[in-house]
Amino acid sequence: MSGLHMTPLRWGLVIAAVVVLELANRLGGAGMSLVLAEMVILALFASSLNLLMSYGHMVSFGHSAFFGLGAYGFTLAVTKAGLPVEAALVMGPVVAAAGGLVFGALCVRLTEIYFAMLTLACAQITYTVLFQWYDFTGGDTGITGFMPARFGLTEANFTTLTVAVLAVCLLLMARLIASPLGLSIRAVGQDRYRAEALGLAPRRVQLVAFTVAATFAGVAGMLFAVFQGAAFPDYAGLGFTLDVLIMVVLGGLHSFWGGVIGAVVFTQLRHWAPLITGHWGLLLGVILLVICIALPHGLASVAGRLSRMLGIGGRA
Amino acid sequence: MIWVQLVNGLMEGMMLFLIASGLTLIFGVSRIVNFAHGSLYMLGAFVTYALVPVIAPGTVAGFFAAVLLAGLVTALVGVAFEMLALRRIYGADPLMQLIITIALVFIIRDAVRWIWGANSQMVPMPDALMGALVIGDNYFPIFPFVIFGAGLVVVLAMIGAIRFTRAGILLRAGTDDRGMAGLLGINEKLIFTGVFAAGSFLAGLAGGMAAPYGDVNYLLDTTVIVSAFIVCVIGGLGNLYGALAGAMVVGVTKAMGVMYFPRLSMVLIFLIMAVVLVARSMGRQGGPAR
Repeated sequence: MSGLHMTPLRWGLVIAAVVVLELANRLGGAGMSLVLAEMVILALFASSLNLLMSYGHMVSFGHSAFFGLGAYGFTLAVTKAGLPVEAALVMGPVVAAAGGLVFGALCVRLTEIYFAMLTLACAQITYTVLFQWYDFTGGDTGITGFMPARFGLTEANFTTLTVAVLAVCLLLMARLIASPLGLSIRAVGQDRYRAEALGLAPRRVQLVAFTVAATFAGVAGMLFAVFQGAAFPDYAGLGFTLDVLIMVVLGGLHSFWGGVIGAVVFTQLRHWAPLITGHWGLLLGVILLVICIALPHGLASVAGRLSRMLGIGGRA
Repeated sequence: MIWVQLVNGLMEGMMLFLIASGLTLIFGVSRIVNFAHGSLYMLGAFVTYALVPVIAPGTVAGFFAAVLLAGLVTALVGVAFEMLALRRIYGADPLMQLIITIALVFIIRDAVRWIWGANSQMVPMPDALMGALVIGDNYFPIFPFVIFGAGLVVVLAMIGAIRFTRAGILLRAGTDDRGMAGLLGINEKLIFTGVFAAGSFLAGLAGGMAAPYGDVNYLLDTTVIVSAFIVCVIGGLGNLYGALAGAMVVGVTKAMGVMYFPRLSMVLIFLIMAVVLVARSMGRQGGPAR
């Protein structure tokens, strides 16, 4: 798999997508803006997991730990440390990165299914601590009312802000993937033994990738806390982990845009599903079944195949 | 008190082993981690809930008949899933195999909520098992003993089947070396379907047996599957006897933890798992089921 290759056509598609998003945001009313804000935040979250899975070939079953740590790092910095909101914004990613470093140091000692299981355990520990440490985290009632939701911005303006954050983060991720460090991450992901023979230290490279992905997940979690004006233990729970994992799979592994595409499809599907059926779980389950059987490489592979058929795309 | 909790812990451990044994056997043969195993447990509990008032209510025989039927229902669901969906993607990316079992989690959860609603339900204990034994200062409820005993019977039957029957030999052959078993003319598909049926049956059975001892609700699926994963990982995925040890450690730790540090009992179990995993570094490779 090569790095991100932006053809003029792709730039055009990205710009068109942003324009459509902004139009929907401005013209769709406050309700639409809220849906879009959630979508964009989850796109960032999914992209952080996609970075880990598509490039590092590390399947994490506990990525929500860092979403939760980002949210609580920020929230607790405001409520417990008494930092002003602007300064607390640093703490979300920092706490998530610290969590990524600690959990990552344990997890990268394992591979494949055992790696996934240990990440799951780490996330469940995080969730349990957030859920049960009433004195510090507020337990299952979470932390609410510590700041005006969305910094007090209007729904539409906040959505625009999340788009800007997503754009900056995606740019950073693209730069990372193209960098020598990104090459190392991809090399270890493809074949850790060969990478080791070439003089790389696979565990250290994986730890860096894990921490970076955790940091971006932390930014997403923090944004989500700002969006809700609240932090709840569920942010670190299995539900978010499964959602974001499904987004990455829906979007398609081995593609830079997989996380974004998956998040868009997933959140829009969830938003509009009640029009068709009250059974979101059944619908999602059946869709996943069909995708697993018919399209084992996810939706992005369809886009890739289409563009190759039309002879216009480069390789993603 | 500590002894009562110990008995509770052993009972929970036995139920966990029934679930984890299916999970670990399936993994041993097919290298698939079945995320939906907890959902089958939950489904077993709900089917038992539906059947208990119908089949000779209040009697011990009626209760166990309901549990047995629940196991058969979950076995059918498991087999249908294996034959219609999972079978099509053997050999595909392991992640997709995991995702397809997650699809089943969503489907079962939604179906259960559709049929039985989102509220917690109670399954009545058979009248004869409601009492307690008084030994010294301790009141031991009878039910955990009976469930532990019933679980033990199932486990012994399973181990006997694995060691002494032709199906068991095929299962062990499939776990040891799938390709070689295939070359020798053994129908691999039959082994996969068989082990999936047996595992699903055990999960449903466990769900039914444990049902009277707690709330039955649609959230059981994830709590149970996480515990079962921990058991399998402590024991080494694919290793049946490791899972037995792991189940007892987790069951007893949970029960004791509730008494001494109620808020930390789950954290404690995850820590045990993390320590075991990291101590083994690459994880146990998962021995054959012997």
